[in-house]
Amino acid sequence: MSNYIKNICLLSLIVLMGACWELDQEVLDGVTQEQINNSTDPNLIPVLKASAYSRIIGSWGASGGIWSLHEVSSDEVVVPTRGPDWQDGNAWVRLHRHTWEPSEPSISGTWDYCYTAIGEINNLIVQYPNFPELKAELSILRALVYSWLIDVYGNVPISTEDDLGSNPTNSSRQEVFDFIENSILDNIDLLTKEDKKTVLNYYSAKAILAKLYLNAEVYTGTPRWADAEEVADEIIASGVYSLSPNYFANFATINGGSSENILTLPYDANNATGFNLSMMTLHALNQQTYDLQEQPWNGYASLEEFYNTYEDEDVRKDNFIVGPQFSSSGARLNDASFEPEDPDGAPLTFSPTIRELTPKALRQDGARIGKFEFAPGSNSNLSNDYPLFRYADIMLVSAEAKFRQGKVAEATDIVNQIRARAEVEPFTNMTLEDIYDERGREMFAEATRRTDQIRFGKFNQPWWEKAASEPYRNIFPIPQIQISTNPNLVQNPGY
Amino acid sequence: MINYLQKPKAFLLTLALIFCAALVANAQNRTVTGTVMDPAFGEPIPGATVLIKGTTRGVPTDIDGTFTIELQPGDNILVVSFVGYIPKEVEVGNQTNLTINLEEDIQSLEEAVVIGYGSQDKKEITSAVVGVKPEEFNRGNIANPAQLLQGKVAGLSITKPGGNPNGGFEVRLRGLSTFGANSSPLVVLDGVIGASLENVDPNDIQSIDVLKDGSAAAIYGARGSSGVILVTTNRPNNREGTTNVNINSYGTINQATNLIPTLSVEEFIERGGTDFGSRTDWRGEMLSNSFSSSNSASISGGFNNTNYLASVNYRDNKGVINGVENKRLNARLNLRQGALDNRLRFNINLSVTNEDQERVNNDAFRYATIYNPTAPIFEDSEDAAKYGGYFQRSITDYFNPIALVNQQKFVSEIKSSLFSALVEYDILDRLTLSAQYSQDTRNELNGNFWAKQDFAVGFGAGGSAQRITNDRLRQIFESTLRYEHDFNNNLNMTLLGGVGMQSTKNQGFNARSRQYLFDTGWDNLGGGSIRVGNNTEMSSYANEDQLNSLFGRANFNYRNTFFFSASVRAETYSGFGANNQTGVFPAFSLGSDFNQLFDMGVISQFKPRVSFGVTGNLPPSPTLAIGAFTNGNRVDLDGDPQTTNDLYVSLVQSSNPNRDLKWESKQELNFGIDFGIWNDKVAGSVDYYIRNISDLLFNVPVSPGTPNQFDPGRFNTVASTWVNLADLRAAGFEFAVGVNSINLGRVNWTPNVNFTIYDKTTIESFSSGDLGFDELRYATPGSPGQNSNPIIYNRVGQTLGDTYGPILEGYTEDGDYILSTTNPDEFEKVGNGLPKGEFGFANRFSYNQWDFSFFLRGVWGHTLYNSYRGFYENADGGSNAYNSVITDKTPTNPLVTAAPTYNSSYVEDASFVRLDNLELGHNFKTNSKNISSLRLYFAAQNLFTITGYTGVDPEARLTDANNTNGFTTALSPGIERMNTYFQIRSFTLGLSLNFK
Repeated sequence: MSNYIKNICLLSLIVLMGACWELDQEVLDGVTQEQINNSTDPNLIPVLKASAYSRIIGSWGASGGIWSLHEVSSDEVVVPTRGPDWQDGNAWVRLHRHTWEPSEPSISGTWDYCYTAIGEINNLIVQYPNFPELKAELSILRALVYSWLIDVYGNVPISTEDDLGSNPTNSSRQEVFDFIENSILDNIDLLTKEDKKTVLNYYSAKAILAKLYLNAEVYTGTPRWADAEEVADEIIASGVYSLSPNYFANFATINGGSSENILTLPYDANNATGFNLSMMTLHALNQQTYDLQEQPWNGYASLEEFYNTYEDEDVRKDNFIVGPQFSSSGARLNDASFEPEDPDGAPLTFSPTIRELTPKALRQDGARIGKFEFAPGSNSNLSNDYPLFRYADIMLVSAEAKFRQGKVAEATDIVNQIRARAEVEPFTNMTLEDIYDERGREMFAEATRRTDQIRFGKFNQPWWEKAASEPYRNIFPIPQIQISTNPNLVQNPGY
Repeated sequence: MINYLQKPKAFLLTLALIFCAALVANAQNRTVTGTVMDPAFGEPIPGATVLIKGTTRGVPTDIDGTFTIELQPGDNILVVSFVGYIPKEVEVGNQTNLTINLEEDIQSLEEAVVIGYGSQDKKEITSAVVGVKPEEFNRGNIANPAQLLQGKVAGLSITKPGGNPNGGFEVRLRGLSTFGANSSPLVVLDGVIGASLENVDPNDIQSIDVLKDGSAAAIYGARGSSGVILVTTNRPNNREGTTNVNINSYGTINQATNLIPTLSVEEFIERGGTDFGSRTDWRGEMLSNSFSSSNSASISGGFNNTNYLASVNYRDNKGVINGVENKRLNARLNLRQGALDNRLRFNINLSVTNEDQERVNNDAFRYATIYNPTAPIFEDSEDAAKYGGYFQRSITDYFNPIALVNQQKFVSEIKSSLFSALVEYDILDRLTLSAQYSQDTRNELNGNFWAKQDFAVGFGAGGSAQRITNDRLRQIFESTLRYEHDFNNNLNMTLLGGVGMQSTKNQGFNARSRQYLFDTGWDNLGGGSIRVGNNTEMSSYANEDQLNSLFGRANFNYRNTFFFSASVRAETYSGFGANNQTGVFPAFSLGSDFNQLFDMGVISQFKPRVSFGVTGNLPPSPTLAIGAFTNGNRVDLDGDPQTTNDLYVSLVQSSNPNRDLKWESKQELNFGIDFGIWNDKVAGSVDYYIRNISDLLFNVPVSPGTPNQFDPGRFNTVASTWVNLADLRAAGFEFAVGVNSINLGRVNWTPNVNFTIYDKTTIESFSSGDLGFDELRYATPGSPGQNSNPIIYNRVGQTLGDTYGPILEGYTEDGDYILSTTNPDEFEKVGNGLPKGEFGFANRFSYNQWDFSFFLRGVWGHTLYNSYRGFYENADGGSNAYNSVITDKTPTNPLVTAAPTYNSSYVEDASFVRLDNLELGHNFKTNSKNISSLRLYFAAQNLFTITGYTGVDPEARLTDANNTNGFTTALSPGIERMNTYFQIRSFTLGLSLNFK
């Protein structure tokens, strides 16, 4: 009897041992690579392509994303320390004063944002080698991301579907420049010329090139003004886009029909979140102005000097929210926590003057960013599509490139079209400085100011609450975490 | 009650007798009768086994302890045995009627230590294992078994800051030796691996044994790295024919204590505070003394080979803040049945727990502390009408605490059950086969509700409600074969071999909608008109894993002088990467009782021992190695919002795949000495351990966009990958000693003391293959205004969880900080949230029927970031809106007027000594036939704390309450958040009554 039982035991031991060494893990609430490989659903590839695009939507406009890196380091946006709010370990002050460190979370967040998209794109290109249109579009999407990287970090590693070795090394800014240019030139003919605002088309690819050539001198030391002019003029001549009669229509909650926007990030308050400008710039009490679902955080404001570059009759002065604030039913808003230094006491009145950068800016200090419509009843995310390339920008690229090649009259004519729409007097004796200022007024809060300041040699100059900075600050450091995870990477000079 | 049981007893007894009769029916030889007695009680022992030595023939004793047995020629010696008694051999000779007295095996009852898959005599134990018995447990209102042990075992940290009746305990054994993976010890409840301590009522626990070192825990392989706590529930009374009924009831009054001082109304106004004209003591309005109660009853009995125990416990713990309550019903049944002369044994355990939690938004504690003391609770205004009449103002992080408590509700209904069935069969006298199947189920239903008028979340959302379920089912089947052999009475050997299979399925869903016409709570989610976007949710999850094991152990005892043990466990886990599916975890330990070798005078015991073991830790989720694709944004393929047939959810990878992902591995070397002096009047142990942890499981930062070295041919699309990293190193020294009954006149005093000194965990390296980095930063102080500056730095070469910050060098004349730096890269180490040491000092006094005990617990060498001071003590731009805290450490000359800026002065030494609990009890003399004991007691908890810390509770924070990521929360210790539930002090009056 006992032998019999022993045998059963031994047998079951052996069976169990067999079972022991092979176990498959199922995925119940997700999809495996294998399932993707085996799927023949006609919507799969479009969804995967859209997934790659969706990688560049989220973090662009969120606090600490690439948008704030561009804006807060420039002279058009500031985050003052208001009472205890926004002290944040002085991160915003360092960004404003150009004293940032390689370990800043926003600097590494922007890097991850860009390279996450690149990884996704590379995987798709590897996975679908036999779909030339897909590959072309993805290559140009990757070039778009590199056009941000070359501008923000300069000497970044280039990673393509062929770079499957281990730790990559830095490429020079010239190499990155060439890579972007070639990626676009090699693939652009496979893109549609139809007006597609939320995905790339032929003209948005040209727009990447136009901005790249415009900044070629900064990036490579060799100016490419003629190329910038040619590419910008091709977009203008196509007739696909035109200046919208209403400047603010381009930034409205529903702006998908804008004749001016060439490529946008299609934000959606519910489905594609990440653009929280209302939360970032408005005062807590403005919840009642726009019947917002949440209380705003009272952060972003503009600098007074920048605000004052607008003439009073300039329609674009509505880029800012200033003056007395009211609830949606018209009641004056009163701040229960007004400071003793507040000149008008409890009533909430946004003043372009900011008392100081830190630590005691008043809660009501600073002109707020009102360029993008805040839809009544919004949640913490906006649905306004965010323009990456806009026709007016391309016009100004053309004007600047022409001007720099001595074609002053043609340039003035273009700039005056922009000024006419803004209902301000045309330039009669336009200078390069005028183009710089006009770009500032037109492109406020569209993340071009920092790049423009660098190109015009203004970025290192002192401004309000900021001393002169070293030229090496014209590119951000490679994030500390990248340097320490990858021994092959060399930090940018100066950091 | 006794009458109820007579019938089934009689029936089963009859059955047993028929069975026995059949066994002996055809015997033709002489007959011997006898009675088996317990001389201590003077009572017969029913159900004892009477066996003829050298044969398998035997009979059980009947209800009167008597037996009749047929002897064949040559039969002379009877072996009489019964559980809990020392077996006795009796020579029959010519006797025909015997009276056999069995001595209770006190040694085996008191000195047996439960180890994995069995128990061992304490003298044979060669690894660091500590048993804790009920008389050593903590006293008072104890709702969670972890609390029973707090401070009782050297090296076992048990913490729960604040007095939230719904809050859980953090349990750590020998400090933090893992991150990323599970850092709490594995709980094995009556043999069921991975059970939850919350599911057993403290009244039901017979003993708790803690496997501290790697060698003891290694038999649990890849689940044993954080140590193992073995919980044994009460076993049925096994004395035939008796029934024990035990009743334990108590009531507790709780009061909030140690509130942080704030400015008086006058001081607040003088500092520039806005005067709204009212006077409100917000904490006074929010808090009230609360009443808790616990009622337990158990019944246990035995007849023949059947033993049962049933118990039921009901507790109701109310919080000191209205709307916080924890109600728990726990029922347990244990049934044991022996058959075939008790060679075949069934043991069935069934327990059910129903827990109801009611919670509030804990930010109420912060707002009650710093809300404007001149603001009224209610206000008669148009604005206030929108907020349900409550006073509210639009200021960042500023909500009326009373409104917050009343307009947000959070409940959980948790139903859990644990079923286990164990079958043991003695194939031979010393060869036992056992098999256990268990099913551990936990179903959690949560309801969250934000009223329409709730200013904090509901107002803008139009009211919002949510339901969340989390369900878990774990099944384990384990089978072991145990063999014992004596070699010439010199060498005793026990061999154990086993197989195990475990599968766990987790699943849940989450739905939330908003914008309601009526406040219908979570009962009608369909009443919310908006179901996408902020404050809405629609999701579900599920995963299932499988773990198969093969294990063996050999124990040797040579002449009670030398002891040796070796074990190995191999584990295959479905969640490991395809390239590394099976891990092997070996261990050995040896020790020697020097008293058997030398005459050691007054030293009655001296047993040095050394052990080494390898244990593991599993990845926190089974699909990490695969890197599955989950849901990203919704995408509209044609970009036209009018068409919806082309709407899909994008696919994004949740983690980069790692085909090499495997278990975390911990090697631990332990040296210990068990000692006793004066016949073990003084007894204790000393242990020193060194542990090295390699292949740490962690979600490390990687460069997205670069090739994934763990999945060739693919690129990283996430900024972090789960990998195995090297190395951590930790060590520690533990000491425990107790004196048994010191006579002080007629008073007996039994003191016990234990302490631990940690050599804190050091990070040796953060690298794996080509990956490597030198620090990880976590935990920002938070909102308002201190959001983007992490303060906990984990650096290679430094201790784990160091707090870094700028040094406060003084203040300027106008009240600004002078800081050593504002650059986070130049911050210096200003503290560490993990303790350097802990001690417990227990004292029990008895005097006739009276007894008195108290327990002091201390923790030292840890710091806490006091966030109340870090945010709300300055006379800054915010102090017109917020009331300020004013502690012993608050600078007053000059007043600080700068915006609160994190610095070293807010990181305080939080060492403390606390009178955790005391109890005074009286055991009444009883001559009643039915009552065996009656005890009345009074207990107090948290009577005083001696500390220099000025925050809410100096208790160490092993994890960060604001970090809900279970994988990194252990990496940011030492932060007291402002939503900490206030401390409570409790007074309990209780009664326990035993019927026989």
